[in-house]
Order: sequence, then C-alpha cells, then structure tokens
Amino acid sequence: MTVRGAGGQPGRPGGSRPVIVVRHLTKRYGPVLAVDDLSFTVAAGQVTGFLGPNGSGKSTTMRMIVGLDAPTAGQVTVDGRSYGQLRFPLREVGALLDAGAVHPGRTARDHLAWLAASNQIPSGRVDEVLGIVGLAGAARRRAGELSLGMGQRLGIAAALLGDPPVLIFDEPVNGLDPEGILWVRKLLQSLAAEGRTVLVSSHLMSEMALTADHLIIIGRGRLLAAGTVAEFIERSEGHHVHAQSPDAGALTGLLRQKGATVAADGPESLTVTGMESRDVGILAAQAGLTLYELGTQRASLEDAFMELTREHGEYRAATPAPAGTPA
Amino acid sequence: MSQALAPARGTARPPVKLRRVFAAAARSEWIKLRTVRSTIWALVLTIAFTIGLGALFTAIEVSRWDTRTPTEVSGFDPLLYSFAGLNLAQLSIGVLGVLVMTSEYSTRTIKLTLGATPQRPVLLAAKVATFSAVVAAIGLASCFAAFWVCQALLAPKHAGLSISDPGVLRAVIGGAVHLVLVGAIAVALGALIRRTAGAVAVLFAVLLVIPGLVTLLPAPWNNDITRYLPNSAGAAMSAVGRFPNLLSPAGGLIVLCAYTAAALVLAALALTRRDA
Repeated sequence: MTVRGAGGQPGRPGGSRPVIVVRHLTKRYGPVLAVDDLSFTVAAGQVTGFLGPNGSGKSTTMRMIVGLDAPTAGQVTVDGRSYGQLRFPLREVGALLDAGAVHPGRTARDHLAWLAASNQIPSGRVDEVLGIVGLAGAARRRAGELSLGMGQRLGIAAALLGDPPVLIFDEPVNGLDPEGILWVRKLLQSLAAEGRTVLVSSHLMSEMALTADHLIIIGRGRLLAAGTVAEFIERSEGHHVHAQSPDAGALTGLLRQKGATVAADGPESLTVTGMESRDVGILAAQAGLTLYELGTQRASLEDAFMELTREHGEYRAATPAPAGTPA
Repeated sequence: MSQALAPARGTARPPVKLRRVFAAAARSEWIKLRTVRSTIWALVLTIAFTIGLGALFTAIEVSRWDTRTPTEVSGFDPLLYSFAGLNLAQLSIGVLGVLVMTSEYSTRTIKLTLGATPQRPVLLAAKVATFSAVVAAIGLASCFAAFWVCQALLAPKHAGLSISDPGVLRAVIGGAVHLVLVGAIAVALGALIRRTAGAVAVLFAVLLVIPGLVTLLPAPWNNDITRYLPNSAGAAMSAVGRFPNLLSPAGGLIVLCAYTAAALVLAALALTRRDA
C-alpha cells in the first residue's frame, strides 16, 4: 500500500512508516490484566483495523495511546513522542473514544467550540467539520437531543477538528444506520488515502474486511495476529465452491471420485472444497451434467477470525486463566 | 531514531510554550462555563443571595430601629447585615465550583478535556483561573451592590457608612475575595472527589456542619478553633468592626489562602496521578 501524497508528505517506497508504535504495553487494573505485553505498529496511509472481541483490551489500549490512562509497563509513542509531550495534541492526533462524552445541555457547535479553543484551532473550523459530518443543520441543537447516530457524527467531527495526521476511532459505526456505516467506511478510507494514519477498532469482523487494509487482532489483551486483510484471509482455511445443479446427486459422486469434499446444502445445492470452480465446471460439462450456478466463496474475515481465536483458545475458556499466565 | 524514520509533516513547528497552552485552555474553559445553564443559575442565585439577604436583614433592622435596646444600638455594625448573604452565596458558588470539575466526570467530557490538554496541572490552573475570574466579577458586583443598597436603606436613620470610611472598601472587596477562594477550594474538591454529590457534601460539611459542631465544644476551644475555619476566615475579610471570634482581615486572607493552596496542590497531584 503506497501513500497517495498529501500535502507534500512522501510515501516511503516498499511500505509505510510506522507512526503509532506500541511496545510491550501492559495495563493492570487491580487483579485484572486488561492489556498484556502488547506490541504493534500502525503505519501511515492505510486504515488499520484493531479487532478483538468485547473486553479484549482495545479501548484500554486506545486510552493509553492518547494518554488518558498510564501504562503499568511498556510505552506507546505517536510519531516518536508520547502523547503527554504533545502541546495542542488535537492537531496531531484526533480521537473518537466515546461519542457519549458530551455535556447534554451544550449545543453541538459549542461542544466543538470549546475543543477548538483548547488547541487554538480557528473557530471557522468548527462549522467546517460540522459540514463534513453532515451536522451543519444540527449545529444549534443540544447534544443531549441528538440521536445516537448524530452523536456519533459529532464525535467524528471532534476527531477531525484539528485536521490531524493521526486518527483513532473506537467503534465509530456504533449506532449508525447502513448509510452512516457506508459513509464512515468511505471517510476512513479517504483519510488514509490522504496519507493519514487511521486506527479503527471494531468487534465486527465483516465491517473491518470492507474498511481496513491492515489488521491487528487481539484477545484478552494479547496480540493474536497482525497483517494485511488479504494475508489474513489467505492464511485461513481458504475458500470453497458453491454449485447448484438439478443433477446434484450425480455431480456429488463425480466430484468425490476426483478427490473433492462435497457437502449438500439442499436438494440441488452443493458446497465443494478442495477443488477450483473451473475444474468443477469442466468436470460437470464432460459428464453432461447441468449447472445453473457456480461460484467461489472466499472465507469471510469472520470465518478467519473464528479460526484464529479457536487456535488461541485461552480467551474463550469458560473460566479465565489467572492474569499473567502464559498462553 | 523514530524521529529519523518519520519525515515531519509540513515544516517543523517550534515547541508551543506552556503559557500558550494555559491561555488556550482558559479560553476553552470560559466557553464551557458560559454554554451551560447551571452557570447562569448559580450566578443569578449568588447575586440574589448577596444583595437580597443583605437588604432583607438591613430592612428588618431599620423597621425595628426605634425599639432597639441600648446594647443593640451601641453594638450595631452597619456592614454586618450588608454581607449577611455571603454565607449563602458561598454555597451557590461552591456548588458551581464543584460542578466545574464533576460535570466533566459525569458527562465523561473529561476524556476530551484531558486529551486536548494533557498537561493536567496546567489544565487545573486554567479551570481555577477562569472560574475565579468569573466569581471575582460577580462577587465584586454583588458585594458593591449589597453595600450600596443596604447603606441606602440605613441612610434615613443616619447610620450608614460611606465607601470612603476606614476599612469599608477593603471589606467590600474582601467579600468578593471570600467567594473567589471558596470557589477555588470547591473546584479542588471536585477534582479530588469527582462525583457531584460527594464533593458537595464535603463542601457543605466544611462550610456549615463543622462550624456548627465546633460551637458545641467548651470555651475557649470553640472560639479558638472557629476563627481558623474557612468560613470564619472568609468572614473576617468582610468585617469592619472588631469581633473577638474573628481573625484580623489580613489573618483571614492568609488562612483562607492556605486552605485554598493546600486543596489545589492535592487536586493537581490527584489529577496527574490517576487515570482519566
């Protein structure tokens, strides 16, 4: 993935530079080990999905990136500096961590106005970002009167306020309707295309498959996998072929003869693994069998995720292992 | 190392001075204050308490002017009633001061606030400075108004004081300073306790309950302790006559400033050390 140049920022050939660097990050709340020796990097110019089941430590990690919580051990830097060192950080890192974090009595515009003032961001930018997120008409409405989806958009507006090169979104599509979800997806991708670093958390694997270029997957505060979405799907069981035929019975026998695994989904519907769709089609034609539907189904990210977490069964255990126990 | 890896975005900016961080945070806090209704209500109440109660008590005194006993006449302090409302005003200012911090925790905007200004002691300073400026303006306006209204009520009896009389201007300003310092202590309590109910309870205990309990102690313990309590120290600043149970105005100022400084240092430590 190359950086499509934004504002003269050079994309590094052969890979993007790491901007968010998490090193051996650990956070313990009393007896609970929320984040456990977590290390990863997030590169510029792409959308990085931060994936994990609820309670896996995504939000805690994001809180430590923006300096709200202090790590028990390890460190995290943004562009080489810890967040606490930043002066006027909204211009460097925009974050949506909690869209509900608004005073219900304050208008949308006033909410953004105090945020802008705190980092000496020109007040004209407030109306600009309200326009970007589609809330221009709701600028004078009290935050407490906004719908869940509008509140989410206000939170995104706040993250965009300082026009920052680094953006962090914790579950940004929560409460959005399908149109809103599509809008967020395009927004994240266009921000990345401008060369920005975009880290977005989700527990929805299917959503990340459509949005992210790169994935960081954690479970129980530990890193389970990191890589591109394509690599991740590739590494999973692979794909299968779906075929519909009035001669399903004969076709099943033929395919099994040739070494494929066949499962019947219905009287005329088959799922074939271990054979490419091209070969299924040729075999059927040679045998004079009718096919009225034939296609390859890629393993979804969801499937890949389930497989991965099965391998790392620790966090699926009914009784949690004691904190700090190595997997 | 990572600096070398990372090409700067645009040209390198000179580091922003903490003074600018403070100024921006203060402006932000001013916007926060004026864009919620609770501020307006608390300030209106403060003005109403200060002027209204002072005028009410003075008017009552004037109405029974001719039936007063000789001791009442000789011990009459024309300023005492003028500032009778400060006892209540310090509570409405105190609640508002608590809310400056606790409303951020209850609405969770503290995450945004600390994310925008990670220099937490600077943020606390900006909050206290902004709130204190507002309280100073409201306090001065209402103390001067209370003074003039009450002295105008006393004028027909030729018992009023002029602002140019000895100690009077100091007392009027002292009343406002009393409110400012109680307000700052309240902000600190809000930062330490984080929850509105708890912080307000502690504030009221300090300003109302403890003074009441101390009076139950045997003499001279009760008076010796009372004069060092925050509200007595505050009252000393707005008194003109000599009261055996009060410190001198300067003494009151020093004691109340010491309480305020201690509360703010603890609040800054708590804010820095705890997770948001």
